[in-house]
Amino acid sequence: MRQVPVIGPIRRGLRSDFALRFRRSRNAMIGSVLVSIVLVVAIFAPWLAPYDYEQINMLAIWRPPGGEHLLGTDALGRDVFSRILIGARVSLTVAGSVLAITLTIGVTLGMIAGYFGGWAETIIMRTVDIIFAFPELILAILVAAVLGTGTTTVIIALSLVWWPGIARLTRSLVLSLREEMFVDAAIASGTRSWRILLRHLLPNIASPIIVRASVGVGFIIMAEATLSFLGIGVQEPTPTWGGMIRDGLAALRTDPHLALFTSLALAITIIGFNLLGDGLRDLLDPKVRDR
Amino acid sequence: MSVREPLLKVDGLTVEFATLRHRLKVLEDVSLTMYPGEIVGLVGESGSGKSVTAMSVMGLLPDIARVAGGSIRFDDTELTSLPRRAMREMRGRDMAMIFQEPMTSLNPVHTVSFQIGEVLVEHFGASPAQAHAKAVELMAAVGIPDAARRALDYPHQLSGGMRQRVMIAMAMACQPKLLLADEPTTALDVTIQAQILDLMRSLRDQFNMAILMITHDLGVIAQMAERVVVMYAGQVVEEGTAAQIFDSPAHPYTRLLIRSIPSARHKSERLDAIPGSTPSAHAFPQGCRFHPRCPEAVDRCRTETQSLHALPEGRSSRCWRSLEALQESVAAS
Repeated sequence: MRQVPVIGPIRRGLRSDFALRFRRSRNAMIGSVLVSIVLVVAIFAPWLAPYDYEQINMLAIWRPPGGEHLLGTDALGRDVFSRILIGARVSLTVAGSVLAITLTIGVTLGMIAGYFGGWAETIIMRTVDIIFAFPELILAILVAAVLGTGTTTVIIALSLVWWPGIARLTRSLVLSLREEMFVDAAIASGTRSWRILLRHLLPNIASPIIVRASVGVGFIIMAEATLSFLGIGVQEPTPTWGGMIRDGLAALRTDPHLALFTSLALAITIIGFNLLGDGLRDLLDPKVRDR
Repeated sequence: MSVREPLLKVDGLTVEFATLRHRLKVLEDVSLTMYPGEIVGLVGESGSGKSVTAMSVMGLLPDIARVAGGSIRFDDTELTSLPRRAMREMRGRDMAMIFQEPMTSLNPVHTVSFQIGEVLVEHFGASPAQAHAKAVELMAAVGIPDAARRALDYPHQLSGGMRQRVMIAMAMACQPKLLLADEPTTALDVTIQAQILDLMRSLRDQFNMAILMITHDLGVIAQMAERVVVMYAGQVVEEGTAAQIFDSPAHPYTRLLIRSIPSARHKSERLDAIPGSTPSAHAFPQGCRFHPRCPEAVDRCRTETQSLHALPEGRSSRCWRSLEALQESVAAS
């Protein structure tokens, strides 16, 4: 008997499709390049920085860019370039922590509210409404006033402000998925609730949440800079972009380089994350995706 | 005939739905008995309470629903008072359900092997490898060619018929004693429909599993069911063997239902339809619930609430005429 070659279905992995779409998306590509640069800078900042960011040199204050100091020095003669690099680290640490905390809390509570409903939903969603009723910054300042300033305070304050948005998004996604037949089918075959949440619902809501998270990073970095600008965030001598912009603002007429370059770093980072987020949304949302 | 213990005995089941203003009795006095290995057809129009009956048995009634009366016994277990957890453990293991829409009954993000195997992981603590092996075995058993390879497919890679086979494999995973099939073939085309029905019947023969076929397709009932339960407006109106129901229906509703099946032998200009539509639970008519649409209705039907009368040979009917006809025939003999 002659062996007939079996022609199986063409298996195109989801991953490779994704990679292809990713490379074709200008937003995603530019965004990921910018984000990668910022990430590398943040991780290797201590080794990349030409000077010690804390080193005060009163003989070399307000040096203009160029020469020994690439981006000049500030009011205490500290190297601006080094401080911007370390500042990236601070911003991303805060953003990463806030994201981890808000995703954990927001997704968990949002799923519980959307899936179980009842009093759990009432408690969770009313809490969300209450937090939404406050202007974000006021709430963050309030937390800072209670806990005192510092990195932990910034993380807690921003997490408190951010989780309700994630919870709301998660709940709405779960609510619509809850109506899907496959959820009923899973219930009908005796699957435990936590298993349905973790194995059936979570993978189905992951991509909109990833998009939301990546767009969110830009906002969190902005909010962190705002708090630092107001002086209630991470404290000196640790450099923060917000704090540096504030310091530079006073000397904007005479020595604009401090505020200017720091703002530029902030802008590049935020644009990077926003482009990446937009790109991912286009890629992951089948309603927007056209090929 | 030996006395068999019924597998499922629904007795006088009444289910209420709490709506904004009313408590609607969606089911009233529904009784239904199934024996091991029996295929029972549950027929009725949309809104007659077929699915709610099945949901009650599975313990899957929505939150607004409440069992207001009656009992559901499954293998000596009273289901209406069973704690949630015990009910959950029975689902999938002792009784399983397949649905109308095989296209949406599978989770798009998991392979079919994962979804079939999950039932085994859940109920028997199977390891992922065991679950996968068993899933492949089950897929082969439900007639999926090249099961080992298809097991790793995602639902979108399978056709409707294949997906329904996967759903059946999932339902069969724990070899349940009872399978509730809610319109299992409605979404499939006719040839696939026949294959799926064949498959269900052969699985019944193999595992002595009782099947409750819920459908409005009398053709499917004629092919499959040994006994038929006809529902109308939240009540059982007639029950009997398939032969009795099709050859000599006792209730006027059943008669009209059977007359409305298109026939290849008798050509007629128009299909016989039952005038009117099923009443909604907001406004079930007084007296016999079928009287507004019944061509034989008289005053008595409008006022007298009908109960299910037992007739000879294990039949029953919710129409006073069938009882009277019986009494006349007894008197005559």
